[in-house]
Amino acid sequence: MSCEIKAKERAGIINPMYTCQPAGAQYASIGVEDCTAIVHGGQGCVMFVRLLFSQHLNENFDIASSSLHEDAAVLGAVHRIEGAVDVLLMRYPHVKVIPIITTCSTEIIGDDVEGVIRKLNKGLLKEKYADREVHLIPVHTPSFKGSQVTGYDVAVKAFLQHFAEKTEPNGKINLITGWVNPGDVTELKHLLRMMDVDATVLFEIENFDSPLMPDGSAVSHGSTTIEDMKGTANAIGTIALNKYEGGKAAEYLKEKFQVPAIIGPTPIGVRNTDTFLKNVSKMTGKPIPEALVRERGKAIDALQDLTHMFFADKRVAIFGHPDLVIGLAEFCLDLEMKPVLLLLGDDNPTYVKDPRLLAIQEHAEFDMEVITNADIFELEDRIKNKGLELDLILGHSKGRWVSIDNDIPMLRVGFPVFDRAGYYRHPTVGYNGAIWLAEEMANVIFNDMEKKKDREWLLAMW
Amino acid sequence: MPYHTFKCSECLPDRQKHAVIKGPGEDITSCLPLGNLNTIPGTITERGCAYCGAKHVIGTPMKDVIHMSHGPVGCTYDTWMTKRYISDNDNFQLKYTYATDMKEKHIVFGAEKVLKQNIHEAFDAFPNIKRMTLYQTCSSALIGDDMDAIAKQVMKERPDVDIFVCNAPGFGGTSQTGGHHKINIAWINNKVGTFEPEIKSKYTINYVGDYNIQGDCEIMTDFFQRMGIQVLSSFTGNGSYDDLRSMHKADLNVLECARSAEYICNELRVRYGTPRLDIDGFGFDLLAESLMKVAMFFGDDCVAKAKEIIDEEVARWKPELDWYAKRLKGKKICLWPGGSKLWHWAHVIEEEMGVKVVSVYSKFGHQGDFEKGIARCGEGALAIDDPNELEALEAMYELKPDCILTGMRPGEVAKKIRIPYLNIHAYHNGPYKGFEGWVRLARDLYNAIYSPVMNLAAIDISKDDFDTDTGFKTRTMLSDPGTPREELHTEHMYTGKMDIVTHLRGKTYEFPAPDKPVTDAV
Repeated sequence: MSCEIKAKERAGIINPMYTCQPAGAQYASIGVEDCTAIVHGGQGCVMFVRLLFSQHLNENFDIASSSLHEDAAVLGAVHRIEGAVDVLLMRYPHVKVIPIITTCSTEIIGDDVEGVIRKLNKGLLKEKYADREVHLIPVHTPSFKGSQVTGYDVAVKAFLQHFAEKTEPNGKINLITGWVNPGDVTELKHLLRMMDVDATVLFEIENFDSPLMPDGSAVSHGSTTIEDMKGTANAIGTIALNKYEGGKAAEYLKEKFQVPAIIGPTPIGVRNTDTFLKNVSKMTGKPIPEALVRERGKAIDALQDLTHMFFADKRVAIFGHPDLVIGLAEFCLDLEMKPVLLLLGDDNPTYVKDPRLLAIQEHAEFDMEVITNADIFELEDRIKNKGLELDLILGHSKGRWVSIDNDIPMLRVGFPVFDRAGYYRHPTVGYNGAIWLAEEMANVIFNDMEKKKDREWLLAMW
Repeated sequence: MPYHTFKCSECLPDRQKHAVIKGPGEDITSCLPLGNLNTIPGTITERGCAYCGAKHVIGTPMKDVIHMSHGPVGCTYDTWMTKRYISDNDNFQLKYTYATDMKEKHIVFGAEKVLKQNIHEAFDAFPNIKRMTLYQTCSSALIGDDMDAIAKQVMKERPDVDIFVCNAPGFGGTSQTGGHHKINIAWINNKVGTFEPEIKSKYTINYVGDYNIQGDCEIMTDFFQRMGIQVLSSFTGNGSYDDLRSMHKADLNVLECARSAEYICNELRVRYGTPRLDIDGFGFDLLAESLMKVAMFFGDDCVAKAKEIIDEEVARWKPELDWYAKRLKGKKICLWPGGSKLWHWAHVIEEEMGVKVVSVYSKFGHQGDFEKGIARCGEGALAIDDPNELEALEAMYELKPDCILTGMRPGEVAKKIRIPYLNIHAYHNGPYKGFEGWVRLARDLYNAIYSPVMNLAAIDISKDDFDTDTGFKTRTMLSDPGTPREELHTEHMYTGKMDIVTHLRGKTYEFPAPDKPVTDAV
């Protein structure tokens, strides 16, 4: 029985799992109120990312481009930032926060983003927009480093670095959620409400799931405010749920303002949710209430109906964001399943030392592999050419063909999900997330058993 | 002055000549917006980049090819699984995409070595695929990797493979259109004339500028083949790499999207003397006219067959088109595509579906596209070049369209102000080409406009008095209120199947024998 943690052997990417850094920074930016980012690069770096968000959330989000054309790519493009800031401020009177998100092209040509921001602060903003509060924030996300995951991490830190300001203690905790769905934020806020804990949720993206109102007034946007971000320096503590998506910001607040930080665990499954609540309780001194014991009981009751009867020994492959994959793998182990293949999709050298992965490695009761810097072809190749047998795949929609072509049931989870309706609405975290995940996993397996005539009588008589 | 100034853009002098309203008695000599100029930064434009114009629009619909981008992973990921360019080979080109995954060390030290390794890995992973297209990105362009040299080296090492290199980095042009141009020219310069086709018919064409969105191209090539014409290549929807290398052998280039693919037709005319014939595959009259034009190029037997097809198709589908047209009459639409549909559809959708096109826009069109589009538009139509978020919203508030025809994300903007949208990039339930396809478009438009759910969206239950007598509304209850059922003629609502493309695959056709053997048997 062994668990190998290693990097993909091929140099290239066949069917990528993640996109590049600027996309992650853009996802963070839409979580902030009165914020429209300017992506400093070619127009595709924005157009496609906006489409991607829209594929996943069925909503539109405004992000601007500095529209790099050939002349600017050759001669330098900082004037495109100056133009973009002015145009954006003129036409969008509500905009207060403008992150300037760099890309591969503008990092290679070496545009001085900090310099142009200083120039704008002293010049344009003073002269033309003196009565407006405007924050220009450099976010360096060259596409040739990291991935969307690090891009998100870098942007969260950049926001807090700009805003966090020590004043009076505010009695709140900072909850840095990582790259999650609106349904997750709803669930996290629910847990905190039950705990009677006041929290600054970064980012408050429940409104990504917005209504269609009779007066046509609804707009999808995050609602984390400037005040929220300023106040993060005055919190009792920070809990960052995902190590790789927001962990950097938690460490920053700890080093700079001595705000205690707890990083992880991603509260996927009952056990990690327990730990999360315990951490909240320790940090705030608030007890875990009876009502959550009951809620937890409902989750355990639901899982107990499924685990040893249906889930036990089912072989699962999981791909997606690192914290999500690790959290799901831990949950699968609790459910008596065998997560035989985990795919983490960028070249972050710290994955191989992640204590959660090392713990899984230490206790593996079956042969499993953890591949870093992976692409989706790593999964397909093992199924098609190396005899990997699977009962279930957990991953996002870009891997749909692996499931379809190899006739392996797959539960869509993570980002993006565009070939199933409304998944952003459901939580994967908390006790309700545990119920949703387990029951949906069971349902895709049940559907598959019926389709393949695999003991479908078993389903009718339980 | 015909120029239209949006309130939201009054502060932008450079935007003042990008929108016009066609006034009474005006034609394109007096009302033409600027087009294909550099974008004003910060406007929240809807434009994409040249890389996507080359790779995503034109390159990747080619079906039997490894499509690899030389750069960081994002360009590849972002242009993967966002468009429905299907193919008859199990959609290989949709399922697989390749990135050389350029990292910081490559930016500093060059990425030619890793590019070469990537190419070998990809061919090793898919031993049955022997063709590759290789796309430059912003990063590989800026560091100056010589991709052509690497491709040549690999082709020497693996004599059975062929690689096409396209140097169209994202910043290379005002929008997608820069990439369209670059890949057209690169293809004719490097690949056309390097493969000899098997000529099976007296009549041969290339079908150019269709990307087989939901099967459009397959519908059209079925017509051509039924007319006895061999389609040597389709550029590039459902297109095969080697077929496209033999474009020089066709008698005629039949051009659909003259925005994205006129360049190669023009070059084929200059270099090989192949004439270019522009057609419209959308709309009954235009399509019939187009099939006849193609047939007349070849001769009487072809014309007879074209007539037979047109008569049969029109008889079968016209009553259904008319059923929808009757109910769409007077409905206002905004025709907001990327480029060519603004002139492909502007006139014929009014004529045949009865709708009124109140606005056209184009993300990457040139002035020539506006010339054609505005000429075909009715009075009062608002034409916008390089539209942006606020202008589109202002136009919708002002014009109050019943539906906008655009892409998915702008469609979400419209939805929030209770205007339904129809996806005309990827389509809702296409294909929309062909006679039946045009009925499908009318059907989708009707379904969007008479949506019982959107009908509910306007009701504010806290204030409004609303109907509590009925538990449902059907579409016809909304489109034909009070009309007795027998007068609705619901039998003329669309009766085709959900999938009208798959059955065409594997169909066999009879061609008139070529006059003389064109290729020498070896």
